[in-house]
Amino acid sequence: MSDKPEAGRNAKQEKAQFPEPETTSVHIFPEWCKGCGICVAFCPKQVLEMGKDQKAHVAHPEKCIRCYLCARRCPDFAVSVYGHTRKAEEKRNEGTDGEK
Amino acid sequence: MAAHLPYEYIYLRYKKKFPHVWCPGCGIGIVMGSIIRAVDTMNWDMNDILLVSGIGCTSRMPVYLDFNTLHTTHGRALAFGTGAKLANPALKVIAVMGDGDALAIGGNHLIHSARRNIEITTIIVNNNNYGMTGGQFSPTTPPGTFTATTPYGMMEPGFDICSLAQGAGAVYVARGTVYHVMELDKLIAGALEKPGFSVVEVLAPCPTNFGRANRLGDAVKMMESLRDGTITQVQAEKLPPEERVGKTVRGVFLDREDSEGYTARYARLCEQAAGGVSGK
Repeated sequence: MSDKPEAGRNAKQEKAQFPEPETTSVHIFPEWCKGCGICVAFCPKQVLEMGKDQKAHVAHPEKCIRCYLCARRCPDFAVSVYGHTRKAEEKRNEGTDGEK
Repeated sequence: MAAHLPYEYIYLRYKKKFPHVWCPGCGIGIVMGSIIRAVDTMNWDMNDILLVSGIGCTSRMPVYLDFNTLHTTHGRALAFGTGAKLANPALKVIAVMGDGDALAIGGNHLIHSARRNIEITTIIVNNNNYGMTGGQFSPTTPPGTFTATTPYGMMEPGFDICSLAQGAGAVYVARGTVYHVMELDKLIAGALEKPGFSVVEVLAPCPTNFGRANRLGDAVKMMESLRDGTITQVQAEKLPPEERVGKTVRGVFLDREDSEGYTARYARLCEQAAGGVSGK
């Protein structure tokens, strides 16, 4: 293999250069979750499950495809997906914590 | 704590006011997230934004969002917003209202703000009843449905918010649902961009009052009925008219450029008056 970049960009190859982190990519913040079940019902890969405490739990984090539909449909801002957007990551790193 | 929250928390008063008061499965939280993402794409300073609201479930939104906020009397969000916009035209004014707030108590303010074309982005969350006071019927309750004050079924036809806004003279009119949340982000961003009176109607479930009175199921069932009961404009053109009955069309209904905003006209008038030139 040569080191020259190929002419056409291949999304699959680019993705392979940045492997997804092995840690949980979906996180539920239990203090804010009210257990409406919207994130569980509309997850296309059944990543989330309702727990016995009537709150959503991450059951199969390895199945997550990062469509962000759970985070966007959560009415309580209780679901977050890591690697949201680059802009959001920059904002997160700016350190707004503690100012408000 | 903050590391586990979605990035929208930057715009929230998350340390003091959360979790919010809305019922489990209420769509207003999803609309609030959509507004945050739309504002985020605009790259505006939070200090340049004014969020006005009246009274109602939806009008609790300024409590949670960290913009300049104004929580006013019932139905008068647009009246206060008009005053603020004229006093400081640099402000970006967003008015959030419920269906009863916007169309019943504040109905006159809505149509006259649209007629004046004042530069306010109006977001009307339509959950078909007055949720905060216990589920009474509102001007958008569909005929035949049951609420706390219509035990034998609603006998009046409901308002079509988008047709009303178009007729009254708004420059941008769109309808979205909280199920189609990615689409809703784009609709609200389109409304924020418009220099004029823009209206976005958002269909949202009220599982606690309207859903329970009509046995529509829990929040998930109501979200599914939003998915199955609405069609895009492209789908609506393809469907024969008999299959279109009972379906709500969503999308951008009006996006026109021909009308000048009220503050631009007002500034010109002030200049004219200061220069001593009579309008006659």
